[in-house]
Amino acid sequence: MIVKAETAPYVEAFAQRDGTDEPHWLAARRAAALANFGDKGFPTRRQEAWRFTDLRPLQRAAFPPVSGDGSAPFALDAYRCPGATHRLVLVDGKVAPALSDLGALPEGAFLASTAETLAEAPDLVAAALEESDAQGNQPFASLNAAFFTDGFVLALEPETVLERPIEILHLTSAGAPRSHHVRNLVRLGTGSRAVLLETYAGAGAHWTNSVTALHLREGAALHHARLQDESAEALHFAVNRAHVGRQARYRSFVLTLGGRLSRQDMLVRLDGEGAELALDGAYLLRGEQEATNATFVDHAAPGCTTRELFKGVVADRAHGVFLGSISVRPEAQKTDAHQLNKNLLLSRRATVDTKPELEILADDVKCSHGATVGDLDEAALFYLRTRGIAEGEARRMLIEAFAADALERVEPAALRAYLAHHLQAWLGRGEEGGR
Amino acid sequence: MSSPATVKNAETLREVAGEGYKYGFVTDIESESAPPGLNEDIIAFISAKKHEPAWLLDWRISAFKHWQRMEEPHWAKLRVAPIDYQAATYYSAPKRQNAPKSLDEVDPELLRTYEKLGIPLNERAALAGVAVDAVFDSVSVATTFKAKLGELGIIFCSFGEAVREHGELVRRYLGSVVPQGDNFFAALNSAVFSDGSFVYVPPGVRCPMELSTYFRINAAKTGQFERTLIIADKGSYVSYLEGCTAPQRDENQLHAAVVELVALEGAEIKYSTVQNWYPGDAEGRGGIYNFVTKRGACRGAHSKISWTQVETGSAITWKYPSCILEGDNSVGEFYSVAITNNLQQADTGTKMIHLGRNTRSTIVSKGISAGRGQNTYRGLVRIQPKAENARNYTQCDSLLIGHKCGAHTVPYIEVRNPSARVEHEATTSKISEDQMFYCQQRGLSQEDALSLIVNGFCKEVLKELPMEFAVEAQKLLAVSLEGSVG
Amino acid sequence: MLEIRNLHARIADGREILNGVELVVGAGEVHAIMGPNGSGKSTLAGVLSGRPGYEVTEGSVLYQGQDLLALSPDARARAGVFLAFQYPVEIPGVNNMYFLRAALNSLRRARGANELDAGQFLKAVRAKLKLLEIGDDLLQRAVNAGFSGGEKKRNEIFQMAMLEPKLAILDETDSGLDIDALKLVAGGINKLRAPDRAMVLITHYQRLLDYVVPDRVHVLSGGRIVKSGDKTLAAELERHGYAAYEAA
Repeated sequence: MIVKAETAPYVEAFAQRDGTDEPHWLAARRAAALANFGDKGFPTRRQEAWRFTDLRPLQRAAFPPVSGDGSAPFALDAYRCPGATHRLVLVDGKVAPALSDLGALPEGAFLASTAETLAEAPDLVAAALEESDAQGNQPFASLNAAFFTDGFVLALEPETVLERPIEILHLTSAGAPRSHHVRNLVRLGTGSRAVLLETYAGAGAHWTNSVTALHLREGAALHHARLQDESAEALHFAVNRAHVGRQARYRSFVLTLGGRLSRQDMLVRLDGEGAELALDGAYLLRGEQEATNATFVDHAAPGCTTRELFKGVVADRAHGVFLGSISVRPEAQKTDAHQLNKNLLLSRRATVDTKPELEILADDVKCSHGATVGDLDEAALFYLRTRGIAEGEARRMLIEAFAADALERVEPAALRAYLAHHLQAWLGRGEEGGR
Repeated sequence: MSSPATVKNAETLREVAGEGYKYGFVTDIESESAPPGLNEDIIAFISAKKHEPAWLLDWRISAFKHWQRMEEPHWAKLRVAPIDYQAATYYSAPKRQNAPKSLDEVDPELLRTYEKLGIPLNERAALAGVAVDAVFDSVSVATTFKAKLGELGIIFCSFGEAVREHGELVRRYLGSVVPQGDNFFAALNSAVFSDGSFVYVPPGVRCPMELSTYFRINAAKTGQFERTLIIADKGSYVSYLEGCTAPQRDENQLHAAVVELVALEGAEIKYSTVQNWYPGDAEGRGGIYNFVTKRGACRGAHSKISWTQVETGSAITWKYPSCILEGDNSVGEFYSVAITNNLQQADTGTKMIHLGRNTRSTIVSKGISAGRGQNTYRGLVRIQPKAENARNYTQCDSLLIGHKCGAHTVPYIEVRNPSARVEHEATTSKISEDQMFYCQQRGLSQEDALSLIVNGFCKEVLKELPMEFAVEAQKLLAVSLEGSVG
Repeated sequence: MLEIRNLHARIADGREILNGVELVVGAGEVHAIMGPNGSGKSTLAGVLSGRPGYEVTEGSVLYQGQDLLALSPDARARAGVFLAFQYPVEIPGVNNMYFLRAALNSLRRARGANELDAGQFLKAVRAKLKLLEIGDDLLQRAVNAGFSGGEKKRNEIFQMAMLEPKLAILDETDSGLDIDALKLVAGGINKLRAPDRAMVLITHYQRLLDYVVPDRVHVLSGGRIVKSGDKTLAAELERHGYAAYEAA
């Protein structure tokens, strides 16, 4: 096996890990995924999908895969979703039963930690691993497949409807640099419905490396919101792969506020006729932060709809990247897809790279995309100031209005309010960077 | 039983029938060619043939060394059959190359060829007031209106002549916009370029006529390596037209031209292209590989470079006419229509590099895919840190005709200055059945309806073309889409 | 002029919309076809003009003695069939005058008449504008692009005047018009009535018929003509509504 130098600490850690009590099939998959990671190494800027990403923060140190025991105490209050939920809390990549409160789940609903599911319903987890971890071009997803120890699994039987949101908190405690590899699975049976809120937050210079597989069967509906509010030293990589079936609806929103270096890869395949996708997000960056939102939407069936809106606010020396690809296969006639990325650059040293991309191989389609980069509207700023609002306040108002616009499609209202609250907290945390 | 009329109407929109290349014919002029292959001896042969000074031979050799270390680019969305660079011939010239003093001296066969193309040199030059520097297989054979231009101090001549007569100007600007090692094909061109056009417009002079060059590819297996250099000195203006059409061929022919534009303070260059080289037959056999590097530098403040292109020909088009906006308040424009039909492929677009303050760029791209054609817009807008108040507006629209073609839009936007305002919009849709039906209900045939709608779709670009070119371009759009509806 | 016999037609999803339409229109006559929403009025206009998306499953349409359904849409237009669209189509970038001249010359070629050059065409345009008492403000714009609803309908009538059809089908030409625009459009239609020209007015409301008095009025319901009468039928419909015919 050829091993790229930067992968050595991880390959060594894999050799030393204790996996004796795991079933053979899982051990084999882990080994294959690790081999793929060792072979591919870290991505480089020569790869088109990574050309704007600066991986140096990841290369400066090794982040040994260590998971906690889920017992660290934690104040949840800042990140609790108001109202009744089914709550699962992970601390340092391991489910913390003491902090969790699953509540009463209706019949047909399954919510558990990945580790637990491996013991009770291994087939479910195996399904989540039926991805391209062993060959694919997502080396960090492969690394995750090699090391994951926990995560969450949500599975709904056909026609099951969850009234309360599922609330997953991924928390980290401060400490030496280390990596947490969480593997999550969401499976919605025919006609089932759920609301899922995930929050990633905590302290320390750790590396969160998560992979989530989502399968929505015919007519299923999922509202999926994610808040990434990790520490300003943290690294955060997330790969989300979604398959959306016939007439199913998937609405995803990701709000990026934290992390020194973060990247969200969202790969959505619209598999069944009439599937609907809303793929939205916002990123607010300051200091030295760099965040990438990379979306790949694959229209593989006719009559599907995509609405995509990502908004970026980039201050100080931060760097925002949006890579948006929509492809329409020859058989995906009557596709209706629209993608928009809008950015506010707030400082002289802030930078934005955006690459909205359309690849269309069917003819009866309506597809469009747009991208803008600019500063705050001077006329609006002036207008507010003539009404007696101080400049700083006026700027905050306009920035908030700009970013909050992206939240409009988030449902239900409780999720929207939760995200809006954290967005305002970010704005309140300090003046955006000087010009 | 269904109504034949209504069903036919729907189906024929998808039918693809063959239509021969209208301008497919070969002129028989004996060539004096270099042996196939590429090495330093061949380059020395080309240079000697053209009586070039030592500095230019050195420059070519140095480019060749760059090229040897480079690899063919494969990032474009193109399927390219392997090219054997050692099998191509890098120099050929018409045998009778004594410069004709008047049209009477021009090879009558050549004149007949131009007539078949609808470009009667004598009439066109006289009627349209166009000076034609006709590049026929690498060497200039006719130049008109030279005296008139000379009075204004405008230099418009073949590249070879420029090297001999205006060596210092050429030496100063050659490679200053597209360096030798810029990319694989530019390096190849720099090593072996045959001839091309040179224009210099002195300070404050407004060139009173459109300068025009027609390119043809003629001798078999001869790559065409044109080199064009246009310099607009302070406060000057020039509009340059380039039109291409080629005889039918079975094998792929490589064309790797380089065009460099330099606009000094307050100068404006308008560069228009109608490209209609042999696209290959309906099965994708033959056709030109058009791998072109075109770039303009707005060196001075308040300078402007505007590219307009109508790309209907070639089997493969790979070109990104670009603007480097160095001067404060300089302006770059790119207006493009690209049509791919049958098995044609195009990967084309532009780069707008904003370096100076208050620089502005506009990109309007109209892509039309029919048959099994693949059409990609690829563009870069980069705002560098010092480009205060830079502005870009980009509009890319794609039209799909038939269900076997593809349209792709790949814009890169890189912004390093907060005062910039960059807007990109793109749409893709199929040709509207409602529009087709409306036109047909008013009595237009399907072909006429399609041509009308496509011309409307392209109007923002076509209106940028000089008048005499616009008419030709409209005809070309119709010809290029023939057979794409039943 | 026009003879429709037992016409059945369905749309792409297989639904039968026309269900045995019988209609005979003679030269110089103006017929109004009225009916509730979904009765098949627009489908009838679509089938007669050859719009894609309809399939004729039974019946025949004879126009001046020839099989109209066998002709392509443009051949029908060249044979003198004109459809004033309910929703005139916008064609960005194509000049209205250019479009009309291309259409007119295509028709003239088919009739064996000489094509009009720019000067002759302009003269013809001026004459028709004068006849219809409308301004020339729409001529230099792109076809219907950015036109108001009233402007689009006015443009349709103007095109009809220029193309001088033998059979004009006006599909809901009155819809979306205020009273002034309605009068203008109706005035135009009246001026274009001629002994050798038949017109079929398709409308939901009676109000157009206050200004354009039809020779015959037909009620279309459930894809068939369920009642025919003279102009008084329209007034009756206005008073009692279509309810009486819905079940038919």
